[in-house]
Amino acid sequence: MGFRERLGRELLFFDGAMGTMLQQQGLASGELPEIWNVTKKEVILDIHRQYLDAGCDIIKANTFGANPFKVKGTDYTCEELTTQGVAVAKQAVAESGRKAYIALDIGSLGKLLEPLGELPFEEAYEAFKPMCIAGEQAGADLCLIETMNDTYEIKAAVLAAKENTSLPIVVTMVFDECGKLLTGADMEAAVAMLEGLKVDALGLNCGFGPDVMKTFLPRLREVTSLPIVVNPNAGLPVVVDGRTCFQVSPQEFAGIMEEIAQDGVSVMGGCCGTTPAHIHALVEQCKNILPMELTDKNRSVVSSYTHAVVLNQRPKIIGERINPTGKSRFKQALRDNDLEYIYKEALTQQDKGAHILDVNVGLPEIDEVEMMRSVVTGLQGITDLPLQIDTSDSTAMEVALRLYNGKPLLNSVNGKQESMDAVFPLAAKYGAMVVCLTLDEHGIPDTAEGRIKIAEKMIAEATRYGIAKKDLLIDTLTMTISTGQENAKITLDALYHVRHVLGVHTTLGVSNISFGLPQRERVNTAFFTMALAQGLSAGIINPNSEAMMAAYHAYCALNGSDSQCTDYINIYSQQTEQPKTAVKSGEIGLFDAVVRGLAESSYQAAKKELETKEPLAVIDEELIPALDKVGQGFEKKTVFLPQLLMSADAAKAGFDAIKEHLQAKGDTSASKGTIVIATVKGDIHDIGKNIVKVLLENYGFQVIDLGKDVPPETVVETARQNQVKLVGLSALMTTTVANMEITIQMLKKELPDCKVMVGGAVLTQTYADMIGADFYSKDAMGSVRYANELFQV
Amino acid sequence: MRVDRKETLRYLGYRGQELDAKTSQMLEEVATELEAASSPKSIYREYDCEVSGTQIKLGGLLINSRNLAVNLKGCERAVLLAATIGRAADLMIRKYSISNMAKAAMVQAAGAAGIESYVDQIEDSIRQEANNRGYYLRPRFSPGYGDFALDYQRDIFQILECEKRIGLTLTEGNLMMPSKSVTAVIGLTTEEWKSCQMKKCSLCAKTDCEFRQEGE
Repeated sequence: MGFRERLGRELLFFDGAMGTMLQQQGLASGELPEIWNVTKKEVILDIHRQYLDAGCDIIKANTFGANPFKVKGTDYTCEELTTQGVAVAKQAVAESGRKAYIALDIGSLGKLLEPLGELPFEEAYEAFKPMCIAGEQAGADLCLIETMNDTYEIKAAVLAAKENTSLPIVVTMVFDECGKLLTGADMEAAVAMLEGLKVDALGLNCGFGPDVMKTFLPRLREVTSLPIVVNPNAGLPVVVDGRTCFQVSPQEFAGIMEEIAQDGVSVMGGCCGTTPAHIHALVEQCKNILPMELTDKNRSVVSSYTHAVVLNQRPKIIGERINPTGKSRFKQALRDNDLEYIYKEALTQQDKGAHILDVNVGLPEIDEVEMMRSVVTGLQGITDLPLQIDTSDSTAMEVALRLYNGKPLLNSVNGKQESMDAVFPLAAKYGAMVVCLTLDEHGIPDTAEGRIKIAEKMIAEATRYGIAKKDLLIDTLTMTISTGQENAKITLDALYHVRHVLGVHTTLGVSNISFGLPQRERVNTAFFTMALAQGLSAGIINPNSEAMMAAYHAYCALNGSDSQCTDYINIYSQQTEQPKTAVKSGEIGLFDAVVRGLAESSYQAAKKELETKEPLAVIDEELIPALDKVGQGFEKKTVFLPQLLMSADAAKAGFDAIKEHLQAKGDTSASKGTIVIATVKGDIHDIGKNIVKVLLENYGFQVIDLGKDVPPETVVETARQNQVKLVGLSALMTTTVANMEITIQMLKKELPDCKVMVGGAVLTQTYADMIGADFYSKDAMGSVRYANELFQV
Repeated sequence: MRVDRKETLRYLGYRGQELDAKTSQMLEEVATELEAASSPKSIYREYDCEVSGTQIKLGGLLINSRNLAVNLKGCERAVLLAATIGRAADLMIRKYSISNMAKAAMVQAAGAAGIESYVDQIEDSIRQEANNRGYYLRPRFSPGYGDFALDYQRDIFQILECEKRIGLTLTEGNLMMPSKSVTAVIGLTTEEWKSCQMKKCSLCAKTDCEFRQEGE
């Protein structure tokens, strides 16, 4: 019988630690254990043999760290060590005469993925891929992805295993004492993603002994429908004389594991510190216990890299603002590749209480696939909200689903056969929840019955792909009442039926209801409340609208999902003072607003000034003098960094008002000049560079920010293409100043007229002179002064 | 982990300027958010230590560094330590670099203060345990100080299994990610007078540094 057939039907046993056993055999700390598959095969064979004799059902091949990154610098390839590792395990099983499965053991790559780390998702995938292929070819029976602490890396590994092998996949993770992965993901988030990716079993390993793991399991059992695997350490590591020891005895280990088994799991074994004696005791004590009964938890859930959002009695808010439709400023941002503007929209909506963010970056004149790739990657570095991927381009859809770190929400599929044929397979493969629009080849039905029929058809079609009702979010389509007053009723009747009769969650793009009417918010809020009462599970709305959010919070208080009205009271009991401050801040002039670092006031004041003054006058008479005042204060040390930056942000808000003003008139302002800035290759510290950027932009320069870890060639090429006069380079480490020097040399050689200013913690004037910089800026204001001098010719 | 507000201000370049209510409130918000979001983790192990000339042998690790050799002279044992406050600081810096640059700078400073005090706390427990055995601690010394090359990060990471145990990784250029992290060597000596309170700054070549601390 295969592993998949037995999994969940009987209690199965993994072996114990390999690393601990190898250390006992003399493996030096820092030595790659997988090399022993070749050089000390007998030792590995013997360890497998001992575990098989102890009675385990699955042995882990010695391939944990055989990935291309870790084997780099050894005499072997990833494929060689993987193949040999599985072959040795296979030999051990054959010689033992026992029936046991071989797990291709896959551990972490040891590198941090983007956006925090340097490793792009697809490169992580490519690193896991050869292991998976070699492992299956060598005869592994399953793939164990273990000791994982980053859902993104797990996703890369799972996709590599799924797309290149047909092996069953088991994933075990290391949760810390707070029940979270190192990336901050909680159990629900990890489970949501893994169930979406349809792994065969999931669970916990390493980190703790069985006593602590036992406390994590109730939560895990509550949220997962899959078989659970538990491979604890033999207690917490204790350092004795420079060596790590684990002190839980085999009997003690087996005793707690028996309690765990009684409470329900499907597979158990050991991790660091466990020995054949531990596994023997475990098998003896637990072999007659039945595995946990598997039940479908039937949760409708999406997740981000930190947490899950569950659709339930409490409706959810999907923020609609990341969408160019009808927004000229947003369209401009997309055309200018101004991702910061888009990210700001994300952060504002999060602040206002959105639970999920819709992401639509389609515009006919831009490359939507590339834009989707950048925005989804970027957003995952700044917001922990789940994303709703909103596109009709199936390539952009797949790119986003793949790069998404969690269980995504996909917007959307409709009842046209063509749409279902294209979208459902993608949703199934990446485990997305999918928004289903109730329209088809015949258009949008003008009766509730018609829309319900399409909903039913789509539910049936989704089932064919293995997509359950819990993963559908049906949109019964909001049509404006300005073209037909019955429209609201049709939408709501269909919505009610879908939610309460068909038992499927629902969504609506709420604000369409008022299209063509004056004072749209009034109609929107009323309709939103009506829809919530009819069973709207997640409304796509503008969370920046206070009225809409008030309707939402009031509804949650009324329907009882806001227990004891806690949230309602928290939010609204403090709001009595707000009107006063709003009036007050409105009275502040632009100059003062910038000096005092009040962004919102600055924006409002600038708008007001623009009613009577020319934009240039506003800049020259208010913004720049204010910035100068603060800047001088900073240099005289009467103002310190955060205050300078608050003023800079306030000035930026003022400039935004001017930009909008000019854009509305179809005007694009000329900048003082273009400056390229970058943190040099090898260096990942970029806050100093970012501060310089903000200030330079304030003073009217156009800044091309190349980011951090930028190769010299890129700096030179960008400077050349844009014919810039000035390049700013930042380096924080002594070691990376060398790369700064190389970059300067290359710039001087290729573009002798281009000036270079440098800054960064380790730099000094002497050092800057030594490496050939034209200007050393000891702080951010220095760079502004130099740029002003240079460009004022 | 606790973020020392005074230290945070110092890292921000605060030198007694007027501290308005808005700034101090913002700082408090940032520090509180960072404290709540951080999950500090550390790992350390103790080894035999031998110093001859500029050569140091720490367990199986060989290091060549004059400055470290001076620091470890007379130590028969030494601790290798790695600690991080986790990813929260880096994520918050990214977030606030978009929406509020002042807060981004504050997270940067608060994170630096946070990791320092966290490492101090770990060092205290190492000290206590060492004192019980009759050992005293030398000041901790990190790769990148003086001529103790950053390349030794590779070895320290491998020996301590930093990635697996505490989620700390190295970039191609041997920088740590999460960035608010510390690796260090701490010498243990039986001679009390040698465990002086020498400030790390005194070894640094950047003598015009705003943050330099001397003779305190």
